[in-house]
Amino acid sequence: MTDPRALEPVLPESERAALRFNDPRLGEDARYDAFVEHVRAGGKVEATDWMPDEYRQSVLRFVEMHANSELMGVLPERDWILRAPTLRRKLALTAKIQDEVGHAELLYRVAEDLGKSRQAMIEDLLAGKTKFHNVFHYPTRTWADVGVIAWLVDAAAIVAQQALRDSSYAPYARTMRKICWEESVHIMHGRDVMVTLATGTRAQREMLQEALNRWWPPLMQMHGPRSPREKDRDLFWRIKAKTSEELRQEFLSIYVPRIWELGLTLPDPQLGLDPATGDWRYTEPDWDELRTVVTGHGPASQERLGFRRLNWSEQAWVRGSLVAMPATAA
Amino acid sequence: MTGSLVPATRDSLALLLLAMADDEFVIGWSDSEWTGIAPLLEEDVAMSSLAQDELGHAKALYELLAELEAEAGSADAGSADADAIAYDRPPEGHYHARLLDHAPTDWAATMARRFLYETADAVRLEALADSAWRPLAELVAKLRREERYHLLHVSTWLERLAFRDGEPRRRLLAALDDLGPDASTVLAPLPNELALEMAGIVARPSRDLEARWRAAIGPTFERLRLPMPPPLADATGARSDHSDAFRRLWADATSVRASDPAATW
Amino acid sequence: MTALEPYEVFRQEKEGDAMRHGGNVMAPDPALALDYARELFGRRQESVRLWVVRRADIAVLEDPDLLQPPLDRSFKKPGGYVMRDKLAAARERAATERPNE
Repeated sequence: MTDPRALEPVLPESERAALRFNDPRLGEDARYDAFVEHVRAGGKVEATDWMPDEYRQSVLRFVEMHANSELMGVLPERDWILRAPTLRRKLALTAKIQDEVGHAELLYRVAEDLGKSRQAMIEDLLAGKTKFHNVFHYPTRTWADVGVIAWLVDAAAIVAQQALRDSSYAPYARTMRKICWEESVHIMHGRDVMVTLATGTRAQREMLQEALNRWWPPLMQMHGPRSPREKDRDLFWRIKAKTSEELRQEFLSIYVPRIWELGLTLPDPQLGLDPATGDWRYTEPDWDELRTVVTGHGPASQERLGFRRLNWSEQAWVRGSLVAMPATAA
Repeated sequence: MTGSLVPATRDSLALLLLAMADDEFVIGWSDSEWTGIAPLLEEDVAMSSLAQDELGHAKALYELLAELEAEAGSADAGSADADAIAYDRPPEGHYHARLLDHAPTDWAATMARRFLYETADAVRLEALADSAWRPLAELVAKLRREERYHLLHVSTWLERLAFRDGEPRRRLLAALDDLGPDASTVLAPLPNELALEMAGIVARPSRDLEARWRAAIGPTFERLRLPMPPPLADATGARSDHSDAFRRLWADATSVRASDPAATW
Repeated sequence: MTALEPYEVFRQEKEGDAMRHGGNVMAPDPALALDYARELFGRRQESVRLWVVRRADIAVLEDPDLLQPPLDRSFKKPGGYVMRDKLAAARERAATERPNE
């Protein structure tokens, strides 16, 4: 068959149109400038577009950490599938953790299309070379922890994730829309668990308050220390849209009133809304603790990484069996 | 409806529902343990769906059992909801098939156990499809539709593990060797099951189901050169002789609920 | 590692809707790709139909010369027919010629 391209009018490469930064005829600097202009004006980037190395690496690192967090995030909660006290809670918790695994799958896929294999990413995670969010380095001790994680940890995460739905990197933005939709169900499940405990027996209320006291400091650290907008390269590239402090304020303004209305207290005497500024005041989180924890020195970090390493190597033979099967008559 | 069942038939039906519900509960709960740590992320999500389906089936079957006991005005009717039936019995009171007591050691064992169970369950459900007890017939119709995906998925995996020599096949054979002697506990005869057959609740006796099951998996096992599970050596204890591993897990699984039996969770 | 490949998944939310791209899954062959697509976009009854396509089998057109050719094509789009002024003139004229209608 004739190659249709052979019939194309002989228009030289140099006279064909190309998307500005995708135009191979422009020099690197011109392409870089065109790309920056595109992204700063709200333009979107697809996996097949040309990108400056800094952008590619920044998106990859950002998405990789997010994927790692979803993968490690299942570990604190999965012990409680076994112990869930009713059939419906068992189903809800299993479904929630399944979603987190699905999110890891989606996010590793996005990162993989940027040039790093899933295997390499997981190996780096297990070797301690890449990070995951602080909250997943802490142990869970009671059923109330399940409620606190599902409601408040997921809420803090969703505040960040909603802002990512408009990320300049379009595959990530699209994935975030699906993830946010799924996370909204988790938050409802978590809140239901907490409200049930808060309106239950005295022992249940005490268990809940104790869990909340324990989780509050890591929650306050979760969005990270304040950093100036101008210095944040992820903001520059519009990979993300809000600063750490903006996210934290948003989280506090929505969720602190909802926690207080359950008759629960929070272990921060300074926590409160400043009527003059409209901002929430709080005791400065312990940023040393955050740094220590995310570099793998949290109370459960090594145990969880060790567990994953063992599990990963024990299951390697299954991945090795994943060759294409000939289509069978069955 | 159930008011027309004589007590002996109703008791046999309750035992059948308990057996089915406990089977689904234990395999669902056991396989849900893979959530978060399965060998491949995509497969993690798939296995979790299968496990959730089983838990959902167990819940529906426990609810049917609760309905049956409430209508019979049994002594425990007041507290007989699905959760109470599922959680508030001691390990000895659990009626699942001994096949499901084997905690899977690896992915091959999980798939082998699931294949043996799903194929047997399919035969069992088929025999209930036209049950004279309408609530069961209606539920079974829904279960069979959901189980189609299970059978497709585990068959794919059995092929994949068995089809050529190497570590996957070796592990599958080891798993079948371990599980085989208990494979027929799923369809082992239930006490007084003749009453169910006579009432039209079940279409045929267990020994017929067992034969049908072997006929169904035989061609696949032959084609893949896998050893057929041996016949059940001893039918007594098929559903009541539970392992220590099960007892230990059971203590952990009920610990939260047991911390306050009066509480709402 | 192994022969895993990306498969793109298109989904239909309800009868009559367009097939929309939802994302992709890695799988070794079409049989498992279908199962994994079902998990990603059908496990909570959110789709009525899925199309699962091996990414390598998709032909992509991104060429701006073909998709965004440079000359005016407004005659092919509704926005190319602005009649507001002409209609206003026609109505005014009709009103003056038949004042009592």
